[in-house]
Amino acid sequence: MANTVIGSSIVIDGEISGGEDLVIQGTVKGKISLKESLIVAQSGVVEADIATQNIEVAGQVTGNIAASDRVELKSDCRVVGDIKAPRILIADGASFKGNVDMEVGKGR
Amino acid sequence: MSTVIGDSILISGNLEGDEDLTIRGRVEGSIRLTRTLIVEASGIVKADVTVKDAVISGVVVGNVTASDSVQLTAEGRMVGDISAPRVIIVDGASFRGRVDMGDLESDRASAERPAQKAAARPVQKAPPPRPPARPPVRDGDERRIGQNVAVNQSAGAPARPPSPPAAPPLPPILAGAKRRVLVKKGKR
Repeated sequence: MANTVIGSSIVIDGEISGGEDLVIQGTVKGKISLKESLIVAQSGVVEADIATQNIEVAGQVTGNIAASDRVELKSDCRVVGDIKAPRILIADGASFKGNVDMEVGKGR
Repeated sequence: MSTVIGDSILISGNLEGDEDLTIRGRVEGSIRLTRTLIVEASGIVKADVTVKDAVISGVVVGNVTASDSVQLTAEGRMVGDISAPRVIIVDGASFRGRVDMGDLESDRASAERPAQKAAARPVQKAPPPRPPARPPVRDGDERRIGQNVAVNQSAGAPARPPSPPAAPPLPPILAGAKRRVLVKKGKR
């Protein structure tokens, strides 16, 4: 289990930063910067700009995502915003609106 | 699954919720919960806190308002004011600030306590009015109050150590204040 979990009834308005995995089941507004993986669970709602290494989205994200490694949009997720990462996966059933930048020629 | 803020996480901003929250990292801003806040030994909170219960083993700087209880454990360090009907400060804890337990009788009678507990409790007479404008309680005084008042406890909380057999009489300035600051001795 990841160290940090934001439970489903929690609302955070502000900035989150850290060096460990983070699971969001609740609501976060503001800004997130992590050195590890971010998981937005199905019940999770994020309205924030995100900078992280890996991100897995099964819930809702509104905001720009910048990942140094990988972005995965799972089916049933809803993402609005720009994504910048060397590896981007979008599963069947995911809904996404925004720009994708894979920084071609870098990170492969 | 309840919420955990891990060691290396920093949150600055407002945090609200309806579930238990455990903080091992750092939170700055404000925290509002309808359940229990646990600040573990590695946790640092610089925030105004409004919760039902708080258990503080780490560092808290800010005011804590609890609708039920605030507990400072032996590792707990806190600077700020506490406002709660039940305040428990364990031996070894460090605390600077005010404690406000409200108007005890009206708090006890209100719906915050289960009805059967209230019924089981022997009816207490209303305490004489408190002396106005007492200077803020210092750390040392806090312990002294706790030792003296522990004798007066009725069977409110289950996990309470037996009262010390021979406590000195209340000093005159404290005679009117039936405060429920407990000091548990000899934890290790």
